[in-house]
Amino acid sequence: MSFPEAGAPAAPAFSLPAPVVQARGLVKWYGRRKAVDRVSFDVMPGEVVGLLGPNGSGKSTILRMLTGYLAPTDGIATIDGCDVLTDSLEARRRVGYVPEDVPLYPQMRVHEFLAFMARLRGVAAPGVAQAVDDVVDRLRLGSVRALTISKLSRGFRQRVAIAQALLGEPKLVILDEPTNGLDPRQIIELRGVIRGIAERHAVLVTSHILAEIERTAQRALILLDGRLLGQYVIGSGEPLEDVFLRMTEAEGPGAA
Amino acid sequence: MNLFVTLLRRETTALFVSPIAWAVIAVFLLLMGYTFTMNLFIAKTASLTHIFFQAAALLVLIVPILTMRQFAEERRGGTLELLLTAPVPEHAVVLAKFGAAWIVTLVMIGLTGVYAIVLGIWGTPDWGPVYAGYVGLVALSAALVSLGVMVSALTSNQIVAAMVTLGLFTLMWMVDTLATLLPAGIDNVLIGVSLLAHVTPFATGALYTSDFGFFIVLTLAGLFFATRALGRR
Repeated sequence: MSFPEAGAPAAPAFSLPAPVVQARGLVKWYGRRKAVDRVSFDVMPGEVVGLLGPNGSGKSTILRMLTGYLAPTDGIATIDGCDVLTDSLEARRRVGYVPEDVPLYPQMRVHEFLAFMARLRGVAAPGVAQAVDDVVDRLRLGSVRALTISKLSRGFRQRVAIAQALLGEPKLVILDEPTNGLDPRQIIELRGVIRGIAERHAVLVTSHILAEIERTAQRALILLDGRLLGQYVIGSGEPLEDVFLRMTEAEGPGAA
Repeated sequence: MNLFVTLLRRETTALFVSPIAWAVIAVFLLLMGYTFTMNLFIAKTASLTHIFFQAAALLVLIVPILTMRQFAEERRGGTLELLLTAPVPEHAVVLAKFGAAWIVTLVMIGLTGVYAIVLGIWGTPDWGPVYAGYVGLVALSAALVSLGVMVSALTSNQIVAAMVTLGLFTLMWMVDTLATLLPAGIDNVLIGVSLLAHVTPFATGALYTSDFGFFIVLTLAGLFFATRALGRR
């Protein structure tokens, strides 16, 4: 049996997993307008975190900075330890992203599009077919895999967009306003899909709808005018609606 | 490399799936065929010099239509965000867009090879200028496509991209005519950036490294600034 030498740091009794996302003091200016103002937060592995705020509160800008699409004016963000600015390719390899308007190539067939995205996401050529089959099964796209994307309903397009985000097994899946434009049945199905994703990935989801965040996320980050007002663990007592109103009203009448 | 091939294949397919590439190729060949026929049967000259000048002028008009959608459409449709948030370096995206549009122009130029074959069958052309002319068209098309892709990377509106590219090409084509009005020294600079001044030696059968260098520099500059434009977000 050996003992640590005198003066050596004691081994921790347990260790917390490293956060998948670490955002520290993120700032983004668009010309003279400050869209994001010193926002800091973490997302832990397996966690579903909701970014909640009214339109124009900076949710999409924060996501775009995390995906490397926009460079922060100030601050640091890392994905699984990779800086989104200085180690951008590695950070992007660890993120699956579904933008708000579900942009896809309409003339491609579903399986062609997914195979294309799999190759872009670094899936080795022999594994592409298997990776596509896997996400087709997970998102229940089997009935439409041979169809051109332009012929799909909004709900299926949303699923295809999520499927491409899961290719390459990213650590983090980012969904920007995923329920936009979906009918009630599709919204209910999507909640199930998000819960399924959370079994294997950390999820960061945005919405301006309180009920959506309450139903899909474990923790809500409340934003207003680009500032993070606070966070709230869903189901920890007070309804999210009351917390949201209290936080945003504290910023001044009619702030939200 | 695999990533580039994947992107190039998608870009090339997207261009050939759209009616634009086919319409552009058809119009180009129709106009070229008309000139070739007139040249052969009315002027009765076994030379492609006129064909090369016309092909160069048509490329100046047609390439903006081919390149206008390359980035502008992706930006408008939001797919650029999808592409640039995947682990793909910007220069690979630019090279693939450039490569796809260049392939279309090479197909157009290649199909005019039929005229050279016809000349070879029915006459005894001087092959030196024919080879030089084709080399010139290939070099010119690379430079034009590269500049067109660069302009497309700067805007989300296809029409704006096409018009700005057309304006740039037209100005570069005929800028040497302005040289006669300017004092010595400055006139050489304008002639130096004129597309026509650098195409003429190729079309007439003369190969100069300076002309090659001009088109290579334009091509690289276009690709460089397109990559910078994508990175500026």
